[in-house]
This record gives sequence, C-alpha cells and structure tokens, in this order.
Amino acid sequence: MGSTGQSLGLTTAREAGLVACQRCGQVHPLHTRVCKRCEGRLESRDTESLQKVWAWLIAGMIAYIPANIYPMLLTSTLVERSESTIIGGAVELFDHGSYGIAAIVFIASVMIPVGKFIAIMYLAISVQRHSGANQHERHVAYEVVEFIGRWSMIDVFVVAILSALVQLDTIATVNPGIAAVSFALSVIFTMLSAQAFDSRLIWDVDRTKQQ
Amino acid sequence: MSDPSTNGPAPLDVRPVKKKIWQRLSLVWLVPIFALGISLWAAWQNYADRGTLITISFENAAGITAGETSIRYRDVTIGEVESVEFAPGLSDVLVHARIDQTVAPFLDDDAQFWVVRPDVSVRGITGLDTVLSGVYIEGNWDTEADVAQFDFIGLEEPIMTRANQRGTTVTLRADDGGSISAGAPVLHKGIEVGYLEKPQLSLNGSQVVVTAFIERPYDRRITSSTRFWDTSGFSVSFGTGGVSLNVSSLASVIEGGIAFDTVVSGGQPIADGATFDIFDSEESARDSLFTDPNAEVLRVAVLFEQSVSGLTVGSEVRFQGIRIGEVSDLNAIVVGQGSNADVRLQAVLAVEPSRLGMGSDATVEDALTLLSDFVTRGLRARMVTGNILAGTLFVELVEIEDALPAIMNLTSGDYPVIPTTDSEISDVAATAEGLLSRINALPVEELMDGAIDLMDSFERLANDESTRNAPAALLSLLDESRALIASEDLQAIPNDLRTVINDINGLVSEASETGIITNLDAAIATAAQAAANIEQATQNLPQITADIEALTTRANQLELEALVASATETLNAVDAFLSTDDTIAFPAEANAALSSLRIFLDEVREGGAIENVNDALASASQAASAVEDAVSTLPALSARANDLVTQITTVVNSYGERSRFSAETLSTLRDIQEASDAISSLARTIERNPNSLLIGR
Repeated sequence: MGSTGQSLGLTTAREAGLVACQRCGQVHPLHTRVCKRCEGRLESRDTESLQKVWAWLIAGMIAYIPANIYPMLLTSTLVERSESTIIGGAVELFDHGSYGIAAIVFIASVMIPVGKFIAIMYLAISVQRHSGANQHERHVAYEVVEFIGRWSMIDVFVVAILSALVQLDTIATVNPGIAAVSFALSVIFTMLSAQAFDSRLIWDVDRTKQQ
Repeated sequence: MSDPSTNGPAPLDVRPVKKKIWQRLSLVWLVPIFALGISLWAAWQNYADRGTLITISFENAAGITAGETSIRYRDVTIGEVESVEFAPGLSDVLVHARIDQTVAPFLDDDAQFWVVRPDVSVRGITGLDTVLSGVYIEGNWDTEADVAQFDFIGLEEPIMTRANQRGTTVTLRADDGGSISAGAPVLHKGIEVGYLEKPQLSLNGSQVVVTAFIERPYDRRITSSTRFWDTSGFSVSFGTGGVSLNVSSLASVIEGGIAFDTVVSGGQPIADGATFDIFDSEESARDSLFTDPNAEVLRVAVLFEQSVSGLTVGSEVRFQGIRIGEVSDLNAIVVGQGSNADVRLQAVLAVEPSRLGMGSDATVEDALTLLSDFVTRGLRARMVTGNILAGTLFVELVEIEDALPAIMNLTSGDYPVIPTTDSEISDVAATAEGLLSRINALPVEELMDGAIDLMDSFERLANDESTRNAPAALLSLLDESRALIASEDLQAIPNDLRTVINDINGLVSEASETGIITNLDAAIATAAQAAANIEQATQNLPQITADIEALTTRANQLELEALVASATETLNAVDAFLSTDDTIAFPAEANAALSSLRIFLDEVREGGAIENVNDALASASQAASAVEDAVSTLPALSARANDLVTQITTVVNSYGERSRFSAETLSTLRDIQEASDAISSLARTIERNPNSLLIGR
C-alpha cells in the first residue's frame, strides 16, 4: 500500500502549504495559528511529539516495574493472608486449571503492556531514524496501540471491583496493593505516550528522502 | 518546484533556528523523572526498611512458616520469618527473620525467643488464637540497648517472667521438687502474688532450685526474715483441737504452690535474686523464723557405738531441753588402726551459736570454746527417745554429774568430737514384745481344760443319784434326831448330869484340899515343857511340812464324788445307827451309867482313892519328866538324821541315780524318812494331846 501511495505521488498537507485542524478538520493555510472554526491551536507538526512520547513511555515503564514486583491483591481470610503479584496470580490461576482466565490475565496484564512499550519504542525510533519503510504497517500499528491501550485497564478494574465487593471484615478482605496503583499509572502513561505520538511524522520521511 | 527558484529571488531559508537542546526539552519529561524519582526513593526506602536479619535456632520448628510466621514483642508484630532451614549437620532448625529496625538494637544478649503454641493447663488456656492464625514467635528483652546480636537460641518453653515486668525474682531451694511445677502460684495470705518458673536441679544435684517471681507491690513484703513453705496438696493434722484439714487453692492442689509470710519485723530488704529455702509446712517455716538459716553453724561430731536407727538427718539437738540445732549428717567412720580398728557411727551436729544463748553476734569459735568448757565440766551427748511410737530419737547434750573426765577432741577427724554417755532409749517395741510372749506362754489351754474337767465333775456329782438322795437322808436323820431328843429319857439326862457335876464339884473341892492341884500343876508344867521341846523338834523337821502338804494335795485330789458318797454312807450309817433300838435305849443306859458313876464317886469319896490318885499323879509326873528328857534329845536326833541325809545325798549324787547302790541308799533314806515321820507324828500327837502322857496312851 505504502509503495503504492508513494508511486501515486501522495502529497502531504504540509507540502501543499496547508494545515488541518486536528479537532474539526478545517483546512487552513500554513502558519495559521488558530483554527478559524473551532479556535483550536493549529500546528503542522508537533515538534515536541517524540519528546513527549519518550517521556511518557519511560514513565510508564518505570511504573510498570513496581507493578510487577509488588502485590496486586492483598487477600486476607480468617486463616491466612495472601499477597499475589500479577504474574503470580496468573500462574496460580493456571495451576488451578483456569487456563482461560489465566490467559486473559496474562495477556491483559503482561503481553499488552509490554507489546505497547515495544510498539511505541519502535515507532518513535523509526521516526527518529527517518525510516521510510513500512509506513502503512507502522500506521496500523499505531492505530492498534491506541485502540488496545485502554483494555489494559481491565486488570485494574478487576482489582477495584473485588476490593469494593469483598470487604467482609475478618472473614475475608481484598485490598488493592501498591502494584494496582502503579499498574494503573503505567497504563495511563503508556496511553498518554501513544497519544503524544504524532502519526503524521511517519509520512514526512518520504518527502525528505525524495528531495 | 525548482521553477520558482530560477524566476524569483532566492527563497528565504525560513528554517527555524535550531534551539539548544535544553530549550527544546518538553516539560513532559518531568513526569518520567518524577516517576523515576519516586520509584528509586521507594526502592531505597524499601531496602532501608526491610529490617535486620536475625537467626534463631530451634530444636524443632513446628508450625513456623516462612513468610507467614510473625515475630512479636509484647504482642506487637515486629518482624516476619523469612526462611527456615537446617543448621549444618541437621542439628538445629535455623529460622531467619527480619526484625524491625527500630527494635533490632535492643536485641542484645538478654533477648529470648520462643514459639507460642496453644497451651492448656490448670491455670487456663493460653495461645488459643494460634490455633487459627498459626504459631508465632514471641520475643522478650529489656528496654536497654546493648551490643546488638544477630544469632539467638530459641527456648523450647515459654518463659514466665517478662523483662521489665515489675517485681522481684527470688531463688527458692527445696530438697524435693515433687510438689513444685512451672507456673505454680506463689501465695501470700491466700492471694496469688507471683508464680514459679521451671524447677531445675542445682549444680551439685543435691537440691531443686526454682526461681519465683513476686509481682510488685507484694515483693516489698519479702525481707530477710521471710519464710517460704510448700502449700501444695492438702494436709490433715491431728491435734488437741481435733482433726483439721487444710486445703489451699484448687490450682495449688493440682500444681503445687508456695506460700510465704513475714512474721517477724526487722528483716533486711532483699536484693533481686536472693535465695530462700522452701519449708515443708507452715509450722516448720514459722519455727525456723527464730533462726537465721544463713547464719554460720558450728559443726561438731558425736561418735555412737550403738545403732543410730531412729536418728535421721534433721533430728533435733537439744541442750537442757532447748533445741540448739539439728543433725546435719550421719555416717559411719572407722576409728583406730589395724587390729584396733572399729566402726563408729558419726552424727554431725549443726549447732547454732545464737541458740546457745550467746547473742546474735557470737561466732562459731566462741560457741566451740563454750562447748569445750562444758565438756570438761561433764557435758556429754546421748541419744534420747523423742517419740515412743515412731521410735524417733534426738541427740541431747546433758551434764553428767560423775562423768569420767574427758575433753573435746579438737584435732582428729573433720569435726570436734563431743564424748558420749549411755543413751536413754526406751524400746517400747521390745518391751511390748516380751509382754506378749509371756502372755503367749501362759497355759491357757491347760487351764481351760482343767476348768472344763472340774465343771464336768461337778455336773456328774450333781447328777449322781446318791447326791440327790443325800438331802432326803439328812432330812430323815434330822427327824429321827428330833424324835430322840424329844424322848423323855434324854430329857432326863440334864438332871442326872447336874447331879454328877455336883458330885464332881464336891470331889474336886476335896481334891484341892488334899494337894492334888499342886501336883497337877507340876505335871502340866512338865507337859508344857515337853510340848515346847516338841515344837522345837518340829521346826527342825521341815520334811514333815512337805509331807503334810503332799498329803493335803493328795487329799485334794481325792474325788469329791467319793467323799460325798462316803459322807452319804456315813449319814446313812448314822441314820441306821440312830434308828436302832440300842440307840433309842442309849439315854436309858446313859442314865444308868451316870447312876453307877455317881455310885462310884460316892465310893471314891468314902474310900482312900484320893491318896492313891495322888501317888499315881506323882509317878505320872516322873514319867513326864522322863519323856521330857527323851523329847529334849529329839532335836539333836533329827539334826543328826538331817546331816546323815545330806551326806548320803552327796554320796548318792556322786554315784549317779540309777546305780543299785543309790537305789538301796534311797530306800535307806526312805526308811530314815519314815522314822522321822514316825517321830514327828509322835511329836504331833503329844503336842495335840499332852494329857496322853498323863493318861499313858
């Protein structure tokens, strides 16, 4: 597709001396600062995009470390008190034979966040390197990352709901651990990171190369 | 795109000025930096707070789980077990635990750890919560941070006394730990004021040592004059007031218990860890109040030659009746050497100088000097029976008036030796035994048999036909006697008798006139003399008495039955005699005899009979003198016979009993004896009837 696009001689808005409002889609001549229709700020390219991406990504990754080290759930029953981390919980579920739930937990809590880190890092690096390869695939990857990021919060929701429901004083209590907070932060940071990525940068490379 | 550059002015290079890198930095970078900062800080905090690793070794780790079992101090969790492993060689279980850093510095050498498990005892249930939650490790240490330690040896049993628990610890000593158990209560006036730790053997193994903890403020009641005693179980005592049963608290019945009291004021305050003895009973504890158990005692030995059975360690030592100490040791020692060696029983007496009346500051040396003074003045030791029934003895120091001089032996042996004197042991058992054996030896059976025989004889006699007839025969005899007496002839006898008496009266008065009386007097005097001689002879013949006794015995052995029978016969004969005509005619004949007597008397009065009588009496008097002479030789004769018998007996004894000679000799002796008997019977007859000399019969 990309090659097809290239061959078709795609022209970016910036090349055409135009800038589009990202909120309402109104097209303005280049260097217009404010959208005439929605008064939104117009920017042909977000010059700080990559910085933000990296910053949020790093913050997300930092938050992800305690999220895996510390326990996610603090379960106290009459006879025992158990703490389970994300991976520990998944392993435990797997051991108990709940393979489906174990898979869901593992995918939602481990594979997706890690995959997001990798994807965003790949996108950011490829943009920085002005790589012109796989532009369409990268765009699709970006779309997927942005779409799927929110589903990582499923773990946090489970913890939140359990904590709210299971509060039976001494008999059984479930409390969120530090990991729940850090995991939520990690997801939020990653989503912000993905959002900070200006996908238009993917396409700029071609032009510079062609010039 | 290249066209415009050729036509118009050269395009402006509107490339924005490249900002310096720090100017281009986005504020968003603050977020990861902040996150990193927080993470790093949290990580460091976590590392810094993770606690000090300590290792506690236990013999077994029942219930201890890594990551779950907590370490608690005063019921506050201060750490957690991190791992459990074996010591090299599997000798111990090592429990590694993280301890809160704020607490760790206080874990010095006085720190103790033990595992809290459920415990059910008489005093209650503890550690019940660990049934559900699992065991935990409890620690105890004081609040002073010393040199921190990291390796500890866990206790197998929970300790009773926590550090900083307010109170006083005292060490109690007892001879027997049977009534002491860990956790047993310490009572004061009936309320529980403390408890006992686990009893242990003393280092030399002779006593049981137990640490007791007395809680504040009760510990202020303990002074140097406090006494502890055993209240375990219950006691029954008999006394003048009857039977008394003492039972302490139920717990102390089962677990044992110790009570204390301070009766005498003026004791010194005690330091923590002071040592006291446990007395067997409250009485003995109170008795001991008047002495200081820690005061020095003078030890002297006493060597007894006889058995000291009944004397025990702890037996009293009394001086003038006052207790001055007790026997502290009993053993046998060898005295002398070689062939003179002898085993003596040595009793070591522990004498308290203050009890000798020397004042509380008297030293052992003073007491020894005093005692040796006493010994030179006659002080001796002896055993005296204390309790007759129990056979217990005590040692008494007494002053013997005329004691052999002795001094206290201060040099030989381990202790100064007090000389002994004869012991006063009343062996009630031996006496009672002798009495019983004597009773045993009594011929009770024979006696009973004899009594039964006697009864039988009486019964046979009573049942005898003739015995039953005796009363009837007696009755008829009486009837006939009455008839005889009632006969006129018999009633006439008195009158005749009166006449005869009158006649005799006249005759006698005549006789007195003619001097017969004087002659009679002389004759009687001579007869009296003869009787006296015979009496003397009699005294020299004890054999006679023996014969009489034998005779009496034989007479006693005569069957009563036969006697009664013969008596009955006699009575019958008398009866028959009385019923004969002759007897009935007797009064008449008597009458006639009296008449003829009267006639004879008349004739006598008329004839010169009196003179003849006078002559006869004179010759009788001579005869009596002759008899007297003969009789006076009788004692000599019997003495000689006695001598002869004695000599012959000696001879006989030398020849033996069974020889023929001795048989003959015996018969000879019997003859002599019979001769003596004849003489004695002659003497008796003369004694009884001196007038037979006169009459010549």
